[in-house]
Amino acid sequence: MFYRTAGQFKTTYRDDQALFPIRQDGVLVGIFLILAWAVLPFVASEFAFQTLLIPILIYSLAALGLNVLTGYAGQLSLGTAAFMGVGAYACYKMLTIMPWLDPVIAILLSGFFSAGIGVAFGIPSLRIKGFYLAIATLAAQFFLVWLFEKWAWLYNYNASGAIQVPNLTSVAAGGNYVAGPLASSLTQYYIVLGIVTLLTILTINLTRGTLGRTWKATRDMDFAAELIGINLMRSKLSAFAVSSYIVGVAGALFVFCWRGAAEPNLFDIPLSFSILFIAIIGGLGSILGNYLGAILIVGLPVVLNTVPPALGIPISSALVEHLNLMIVGGLIIFFLIVEPHGLARLWGLARQKLIVWPFPY
Amino acid sequence: MKHFTKLAAAALALSVLAGGAAADETEALFVPNLAYRTGPFAATGIPLMNGQRDYALMLNARDGGVGGIKLNFEECETGYNTQKGVECYEKTKGTAIVTQPWSTGITLQVLPKTNVDQIPILAPGYGFSPMADGKVFQWAYNMPGSYWDAASMILKYISDGNLDSLKGKTIAYLHLDHPFGKEPLPYLEKMAADHGFKLEPIPVGLKEMQNQSAQWLQIRRLRPDYVIMWGWGAMNAGAITEAVKTKFPMENFVGTWWSGHDADLNIVGDKGKGYKSISFSRPVLDAPIMADLKKYVYDKGDSLSNDEERSGVFYSRGLVISMILSEAIATAQEHFGKKDIGPADLRWGLENLNITDERLAELGMTGMVAPFKTTCGDHTGHSGGWILEWDGTKFVQASDHLMPDSEVIRPMEVEGAKAYAEANAPWPVNETCSAEAG
Repeated sequence: MFYRTAGQFKTTYRDDQALFPIRQDGVLVGIFLILAWAVLPFVASEFAFQTLLIPILIYSLAALGLNVLTGYAGQLSLGTAAFMGVGAYACYKMLTIMPWLDPVIAILLSGFFSAGIGVAFGIPSLRIKGFYLAIATLAAQFFLVWLFEKWAWLYNYNASGAIQVPNLTSVAAGGNYVAGPLASSLTQYYIVLGIVTLLTILTINLTRGTLGRTWKATRDMDFAAELIGINLMRSKLSAFAVSSYIVGVAGALFVFCWRGAAEPNLFDIPLSFSILFIAIIGGLGSILGNYLGAILIVGLPVVLNTVPPALGIPISSALVEHLNLMIVGGLIIFFLIVEPHGLARLWGLARQKLIVWPFPY
Repeated sequence: MKHFTKLAAAALALSVLAGGAAADETEALFVPNLAYRTGPFAATGIPLMNGQRDYALMLNARDGGVGGIKLNFEECETGYNTQKGVECYEKTKGTAIVTQPWSTGITLQVLPKTNVDQIPILAPGYGFSPMADGKVFQWAYNMPGSYWDAASMILKYISDGNLDSLKGKTIAYLHLDHPFGKEPLPYLEKMAADHGFKLEPIPVGLKEMQNQSAQWLQIRRLRPDYVIMWGWGAMNAGAITEAVKTKFPMENFVGTWWSGHDADLNIVGDKGKGYKSISFSRPVLDAPIMADLKKYVYDKGDSLSNDEERSGVFYSRGLVISMILSEAIATAQEHFGKKDIGPADLRWGLENLNITDERLAELGMTGMVAPFKTTCGDHTGHSGGWILEWDGTKFVQASDHLMPDSEVIRPMEVEGAKAYAEANAPWPVNETCSAEAG
């Protein structure tokens, strides 16, 4: 009824290959875009911006980066947080060395540094696969975090070893502050949303094009891909490069447009794992999944934390925290049992059912 | 279905009850505490949080709050996690009159925001040492002492007041590899250069807290004359057990004020004899305040603490910290002539705090903290402190009252504050008071 596809005829190949071959999909995406761009920013409170909207977008972007590598090209990585760190530190250093640089440009450029590091740590993927590769990326995780701690030049010899984001204005935001304590959440939200939208569109197109098909071929069976003439080295390393670029930009946004300060152990393995969880629970090899996963993993604890006080149930905040861990953990297991292919597949099934509903025959 | 009805009824009853409770709190000062009762730092966090909480409960029960208005003392759990801390800060800042971040990492993160949100940060004995410069850090308070104060007092103690006597000696600085542990390094490095002793920083990563064999192997190889420790949470117990195992002479092992937790030493008991820690507070079990706490809090069963914990150093430090806050509220109420004060009023109170011996006696807390006084330029107050020594069962005072070397520290604070303000430009500075006058 709502998802009636009858009457939508495809008369050209172009129509058939459109991003949204079914009109309702396009409408739905449009509604969410309007919601994100025009409605939410004006109704959200400061608390919602800082604990829900901005972090969900940044985490989705990081998961999107990981998904390119793990979901599309099939190379398991446990070093996501470290690559985020590379992006953040690169952005910080660039802005220290070149203070005239526009922060938005710096954030977009910082991805190239993490792309370079990502390719370097991706080289082992040419020889090893699966769990062994995961261990190699784990090495990147430990090595890079160690480097962030020990290389004092990276944090400008700050006594506390943390990086502090100064107040920065950007032309992209009409000369307003985009980073630092003076930046308003609304501006930061729009900057993050703009970059996330841009990179998502780019990634969707990449994954639908030649590169995306090469990645998928590599993922599904690498030697078969090689036999049909795919250059595995190029395919794997390009996946590492694109993935690390996106992850690096997410890292720069993470520190500059949200946290405002970062210490090295922020980029430690728990962050890598939570991004991996987002990608897996959202659905590997899907773009939509990253957003659904991020909403679940980032948003749920915040909502759970505010539910008991809102209902007026007097429980201590430590207990809420314990309950939170249990509920989120339980939900992860529940979703993996109900739908091992992630929330994106769950939505896919629901959509299929909607298309034939209410007459399933 | 039956179950659901029951559940719904229960939920309804609960919300009605809570609604009743909420109605009482409409007239109250909201003083949230970003506590951590979970995570690797919970063991050292809980006694402090309990002390703070019990003091606030006692004030509410005994005096009906401060100046006739109740304190709505609420905890927000951070687990010492900076991200959670910021979340708590965002959640509470709307109605709170103060932020108690309880971690150097969270302090660093919210410090720049307080200027915009105009909420005072109360970080007693922790945070960024240059916060002492009230001219630059208008909203941050770390009375009664900063980490540089602590480092200075420790050096004074081990050198018997003459730092030049440390010439040629080696001091290992065992610290948590975290903003907290790195905080005193600039001061210690400067002292090492000025007085000719050798400083060997030995970092302990967050992941290595419980197993410090590598660090202690390094200490054994270095054969330092003293080990100074900046440890917290699980790191303290790890270091102390390892020191016992490697037979390091305990009397040459001195910790900061967050490394003197009774429970950590209880693990080694007699073998820990001689271990010392600097402290700005000390437990006075027969102080009149303890009797009041017993009467108004413990006997009613409102306390989350137990007798063993209450006799410890950290619990009494929690009491002192809440006392500082309530005194600041009282000071502000008196000055502005109203009981329902806001964050900006509280800032005035924190800035004009004068804890004298007479006031401490009135509060029934004589001897629990040394007298101190803050001004608009000096947000630390520099109360000084005592060296406490572990006698095998408890911490006992082992030195006279020590004072930090303010002539050296003050210029460093001003310099550090200036560098911070420059790095975070535009940073509003309070021109009406001079930092030097503090």
